[in-house]
Amino acid sequence: MLDIARQVLDAAMAAGVEQAEAFVQLDRSMRAKVYQQEVEEMVSATGSGAGIRVIDHGSAGYAYTSDLSPDGIKAAARAAAEGMSVTARDEFAGLPAPAAEFPQLDLYSPRLQEVRVTDKISLAMTLEKAALEHDRRVRQVEAATYSESESTVAIANSLGFSRSYAETSCFAFLQAIAEDEGQMQTGISFVTGREPGQLDAAAAAAEAAGRALSLLGAGQCASMSCPVVMDPFVAASVIGVAGSVLTAEAVQKRRSLFAGRRGERVASSLVNLLDDAVHPDGLASAPFDGEGVPSRRTELIKDGVLQGFLYDTYTGRKDGVASTGNGVRGSYRSQPHVGATNLRLTGGATPAAALLEGIELGFYVIDVTGMHSGVNLISGDFSVGASGRLIRNGGLSEPVREVTIAGNLLDMLGNIKKIGNDNRWVPFGGSIHAPSVLIEPMTVSGR
Amino acid sequence: MIDEHLAEEALTAALERGGEFAELYFERRASMSLNLEDGKLEKISHGLDAGASIRVIRGRSISFVFTEKTDERSLIGAARLAGEAAGGGGGGVQPLAGAEPAVVHKVKTPPDSVVAGEKAELLKAADRAARDRGPEVVQASIGFSDETSQIVIANSDGCLVREERTRVRLTARVVASRNGAYQTGYDSAGGLKGMELFAAGLPPQLGGSAAAKAITMLDSRPAPSGKMAVVLHRGFGGVLFHEACGHGLEADAVEKGASVFAGRVGEQVASPLVTLIDDGSIVNEWGSGSFDDEGVPAQRNILIENGVLKGFMFDRLRARNAGVPPTGNGRRQSFRHPPIPRMTNTFILAGDSTPEEIIASTEHGFFAKTLSGGQVEPATGDFVFGVSEGYLIESGKVSYPLRGATLIGNGLVAMNNVDLVAGDFEMNIGVCGKDGQGVPVGSGQGTLRILNMTVGGTEV
Repeated sequence: MLDIARQVLDAAMAAGVEQAEAFVQLDRSMRAKVYQQEVEEMVSATGSGAGIRVIDHGSAGYAYTSDLSPDGIKAAARAAAEGMSVTARDEFAGLPAPAAEFPQLDLYSPRLQEVRVTDKISLAMTLEKAALEHDRRVRQVEAATYSESESTVAIANSLGFSRSYAETSCFAFLQAIAEDEGQMQTGISFVTGREPGQLDAAAAAAEAAGRALSLLGAGQCASMSCPVVMDPFVAASVIGVAGSVLTAEAVQKRRSLFAGRRGERVASSLVNLLDDAVHPDGLASAPFDGEGVPSRRTELIKDGVLQGFLYDTYTGRKDGVASTGNGVRGSYRSQPHVGATNLRLTGGATPAAALLEGIELGFYVIDVTGMHSGVNLISGDFSVGASGRLIRNGGLSEPVREVTIAGNLLDMLGNIKKIGNDNRWVPFGGSIHAPSVLIEPMTVSGR
Repeated sequence: MIDEHLAEEALTAALERGGEFAELYFERRASMSLNLEDGKLEKISHGLDAGASIRVIRGRSISFVFTEKTDERSLIGAARLAGEAAGGGGGGVQPLAGAEPAVVHKVKTPPDSVVAGEKAELLKAADRAARDRGPEVVQASIGFSDETSQIVIANSDGCLVREERTRVRLTARVVASRNGAYQTGYDSAGGLKGMELFAAGLPPQLGGSAAAKAITMLDSRPAPSGKMAVVLHRGFGGVLFHEACGHGLEADAVEKGASVFAGRVGEQVASPLVTLIDDGSIVNEWGSGSFDDEGVPAQRNILIENGVLKGFMFDRLRARNAGVPPTGNGRRQSFRHPPIPRMTNTFILAGDSTPEEIIASTEHGFFAKTLSGGQVEPATGDFVFGVSEGYLIESGKVSYPLRGATLIGNGLVAMNNVDLVAGDFEMNIGVCGKDGQGVPVGSGQGTLRILNMTVGGTEV
């Protein structure tokens, strides 16, 4: 792998540029989707490709190719160099110098390959079967899926960086559909791991079924301002949105409600938020980021006070600080950009059930929709569709759907009154380790 | 590129190992993107993506293998793997016969005939127009992308299709600020065509329009909550019907009964004013093609006619299961993705009213001028939409702008509550996500009114 990366680097430097970087990725993936105890879809794939970044006199160019033949690499190197002719000169453009030390992480499990395909398919079948057996009102299961991938990343740059790592990951996912008295409700669940032995299919099935069942019979509730408890899935969506504007890029481009607030109180004193690229269970963990900077843990909010932002090399130079190792890239097809790795909301002490205690009338949110369209990241104005249960006298009461919850993200963070100790990994919209939270008050709009 | 002989060999290799139907999809996509921010051309990327996938179907099971290596050995290897995973069956391959497209989307100026510097000028023009709108404009991000794909589709029933698709797109996102408040405005245009899309001053028009929206919203007040009449502005509103009913009309959801429309063909499911069409054959439109991604000719499908459910959108697999012909809706993001039933360009036919009449006849309501996107649960039809530009309607007149509003409702209910549709038809473009696959789609309608819809704002 590193050999290929060095070949790509040589091809890029041959264009006579000051700096160049080669990012090479090789992966293998498999996915099995089961419906009515038969394999509905089985996908297997192998892929490889390279991304080339070149910089000369402050101008940067990028090109990628899935063709790793000598001609393919040469063509991409040429395209990257051509791109430099139109980009603006930027004094902050540049590659990171190689660091001396990198975290030791155990991201690869040989078990992923060893477990037989038939056992992986049975895992998906168990998801479906267990959800259907959970309750007779669970009518069917959509997308009972087992999915895995194994990938190797190698980066070489002209400043002397040359390293690679391999990782495995897998997950099981399902959506249960429950029906009663003509109404359908859906519930999802998923579990993640480095190898299939870490996936508890029965628990995921029970959770998805439970979520769908708990919404059966739901209707609109009256509009009100009340305490709102978010379960970890919902809290994770909110954390993911906050994380996206805690990047230096969002701040420098004035696209963040956190701009200019470093050192200020931006959340309730209970809130501790960190970006943790070295957590052993986080699927976004890696020894180094997409441009070769060592991974680390970065405090974003401590006891409610904004500590700082996430940086890649470029945004770091602009602010005169070091990269925090957050130059992420989805694949060889994308250039590195600043982004969160594993976001963790830590330090919650309240047992989840105790979050409802003392609430006379409130809303327990199980699902939110429209997160990507319902939030203004600059003003923080926030309005999303929600379903869940009413809270009455400290307990869960009638199911609710077709309502919205609204407010301002900063007010919401400030109004967090309790944080649960029920953290779990949520792999949607990033990799987020989220607990349940109590926010009081929020606006619920219904009838 | 893959020739006929290799395609036939791969299909044969797949079916020798198992399955009843085999398909080869080859794609070579050259793309380019440019991003301009803060008046500077910040990012450029050139991409080449090439690969092939083999899909083998046995009964209702799909086995799908893709590879980025398209030499003969890799391709035959992938084909055998897909056949083996499907198991059972086995069969022969009909002689491949090339099909001619019924509709051709001509490209006048191919993107690769225009140098990057010239494309950069388009972005700069949009940026200048945005900044010229007013001192409130503090930031403009302009994005440009083009792609040209060569596609070869061959299947064991003898279908052989070759298509070249060129798409270009320009987006403008503008931030305006006054007294510490910030608002954003967005506009975009795209087509299944070449650089001719940008003739006649389109880039400055998009930049100016995005800036105008952001500036207008600086004067906004928090949106109220509650049920009221909602007037959807032409064009952008179409995305609501895309979400609220389009997804429920895709045959994969219908087949599993996970759609509110399942088993209701022939029934009145919407107001008689609603005629919903999906048409992938509109010349040069963003969501169009000559064929779909399974080699079925693009066509015009009537989904709902005068409120009566007429039919669904099928790919080959679901059509075969249902015993009906495919409708040209089998689409995929790339060779890395199996085709599934998807919308192309989906729209509500123009009606007889005028937008002025609709506003004038609304005593109290919400005018949704630009929607920022949404989501639906096809099993229940429940949807939610963000409104990036909205206004209060008071006594038949459009009043002050409202921010932070969300539209929430149920597809069936909303479609039955459509009581006025205007003739000012317009299409808009977007990228629709489903099962982790994004495909270009168009959506459209004339200005229309939906009674009794829930607006979720921040004011109780």
